[in-house]
Amino acid sequence: MSATTLDLRRSRVDVGPGPSFFRVLNSEFIKFRTLLSTLILLGSTVLVMVGFGALNAWGVGQFSEASRDDPEAAAAFAAQGADLTVRVPTSGLDFAQLIIGSLAVLLMSSEFTTGMARSTFAAVPKRTPAFVAKLLVVTVSAFVLTVAAALLTYVVAAPILDNYGFTIDLGTEHSLRMLLVSGLYVAAVAAIGMSLGTLLRNSAGGIMSLVGLFFVVPIAFQLIPGDFFVEARKYLPGNLFQTITAGTPADGALEIWQASLWLGAWVAVPLVLAMVLLKKRDV
Amino acid sequence: MIEAKGLTKVYGDKTAVGGVSFTVQAGQVTGFLGPNGAGKSTTMRMIMGLDAPTAGAVTVNGVPFAHHSAPLREIGALLDAKAVHTSRSAYNHLLAMAATHSIPKKRVHEVIEMTGLGDVAKKKVKGFSLGMGQRLGIAAALLGDPQTIILDEPVNGLDPEGVVWVRNLVKFLASEGRTVFLSSHLMSEMAQTADHLIVIGRGRIIADAPIKEIITGKGQARTRVRTDQPEQLMGLLASDGVSVEVQDHELLEVKGITPRQIARAALDHHVMVYELTPLQASLEEAYMELTKDEVEYHSLITTGAPVPAQTGGK
Repeated sequence: MSATTLDLRRSRVDVGPGPSFFRVLNSEFIKFRTLLSTLILLGSTVLVMVGFGALNAWGVGQFSEASRDDPEAAAAFAAQGADLTVRVPTSGLDFAQLIIGSLAVLLMSSEFTTGMARSTFAAVPKRTPAFVAKLLVVTVSAFVLTVAAALLTYVVAAPILDNYGFTIDLGTEHSLRMLLVSGLYVAAVAAIGMSLGTLLRNSAGGIMSLVGLFFVVPIAFQLIPGDFFVEARKYLPGNLFQTITAGTPADGALEIWQASLWLGAWVAVPLVLAMVLLKKRDV
Repeated sequence: MIEAKGLTKVYGDKTAVGGVSFTVQAGQVTGFLGPNGAGKSTTMRMIMGLDAPTAGAVTVNGVPFAHHSAPLREIGALLDAKAVHTSRSAYNHLLAMAATHSIPKKRVHEVIEMTGLGDVAKKKVKGFSLGMGQRLGIAAALLGDPQTIILDEPVNGLDPEGVVWVRNLVKFLASEGRTVFLSSHLMSEMAQTADHLIVIGRGRIIADAPIKEIITGKGQARTRVRTDQPEQLMGLLASDGVSVEVQDHELLEVKGITPRQIARAALDHHVMVYELTPLQASLEEAYMELTKDEVEYHSLITTGAPVPAQTGGK
C-alpha cells in the first residue's frame, strides 16, 4: 500500500514543534495565572500571613509589657524571647499551608471535574510531563509566595516589635532556616495536595483529606492516650516541620536530617503513586 | 488515516466497544453513526489515547496517538464541548493549549475568527451557550492545523446557521485531503455531510460503506406510479424480482425495476401513466433497519408519526 507509506512518512517528517517539557511548563504557567480564583487564593494567603504576623508581633509586645511587673513571667519570657520573635514572620504559616495546599488539590482535581484533563492530556499524551510541569509551577509558586509573604510580614511586624524594644534579626542562622524551611514546607504541602487531587480526582474529597492529614490527625493523636501515638506524632508532617525549625532540639526529638528525610517521604510516596496512576488510568 | 483493529473496551461486565475494526480514509468525511450509548465516544477517546483499550489497537497515520512527536499538529479533536476549565476565558484556554506545541498567538487569533468566537473570546467559558462551547471545541481541534480531525457530535447545540457552518467546514477540510471523522446520532445531518459511513450499535460495527451504498443497499429503490389501468400495468410489470404494491386506487409502488423500464412497458402497451416518481430510501430508514436490534435504550412510547428531520440539538 503505497498510500499508507506516504501517509506514514508525512507523519514522521517535521510537522512542527511538539510538547517539549519547557513548552508544557509554559502552558501550565499560563493555566496557573489565568484563573482568577488562583490569584485570589494567593492574594489572601499573603494577607493572612501578614495579618497574623502583625497580630503576633503585637501579642509578643503585650506579653513583654505585662511581664515587666512580674519577675516570674519576665524570667519565662526572657528564656524564650528570641524564639518568639524569630517565629513572628511565619506565624500565619498554618493558614498559608491550608490555603496553598487546598489550591494545589483544586488545580489538579478541577482538571478532571471540568473535563479540562481531556484537552491537557490530548496535547501531552505522555501525561507525566504535564504533571511534573504543574507540580513545578505549584511548588515554586508556593515557595516564593511563602518566603515573600514572610519577608513582607517582617517589614510590617518589625516596627511593631520595635515599639516594645524587640528586634528581629533576619540574618541569624535560625531566622534564615525558619524562612527557607517554611517556604519548602508549604511547597511540600502543595505537592501532597496535588497528589491527593490527582489520586482522588475530586475537589471536596481532596481538600478534606488534606485537612484531615494536617489538622485532624495531629489533634486526634494528641488526644488518644498511649505511647504509640506519642511516638507516631513525631512523624506527622506538621511535627516534622516543628522539629526541623526548632531553635534547640527537644528531648527525644528526631535529628534534623531524619525529620527532613521523613518529610521527603511524605511528599515522594503520594507523588510517585499519583504519577503511576495518572499514566495508567483513563481520563 | 485512522486504523482500528479489534478495538475493545470493557467496563466491568459491560462491553462498551466489542472488537471493532475499521479504517477512516483521508480526503473524505467519514460519519460515525450510532444510537446513544453505542460506543462512539468511547471509540474516539481510545483514538485520542485518553482511554486505554482493553484489547486491540488504534493508530493515526500508522502511529498510536501517544507516540506522535507533535500530537496536536497531527490530530485535532473535539471530544466534549466542555473539555475546558470554565473559569478561564476562551482565549486563555486556547493560548495554554497552543503553548504546549509552540503554536503562535497569531494562529490562536485565526481559529477564534474562523469559529466566530471573536466577540466572546475574552469572556469566561462558564457563560457560554452549548453552541459557543462547540465552537470553542472546534477551534481547539483546529489549533495545530492537523491532518486528521475528530469531532464527536459537533453540531450538538448549534443553531441552524452553525450546523451549516460545520457541514461546510468539514467538507472543506476533507477536500484539502484531510481525514475527517465525525460522529453523530443525527441521520439527517450525516446524509448531508458524510461521504462514507461507519454505523455502530451496541459496540459493534453494523455497516461500513459509502453513504450511497448504505441508502440503496438496504432500502431498495422504489417508484410511485399512478395510472388509469393499474391491473393491466401490474400484469405488464410482473416478472422475477419485481414487486408491486397497490397502495390506493390507481396508485402503485413498484420495487425492483427502474422508472424508465416502467415507462417503456407502459408506452409499448398504451397504458396511460400520469405519475412516475422515483422514491429514494432515506438514510433514516436505512439506519432504522440497520440498528433496529442494536438500540440500547428503546423508547417505551412510540408515536406513529416519523421523527421529523433534525437540524441540531438533541
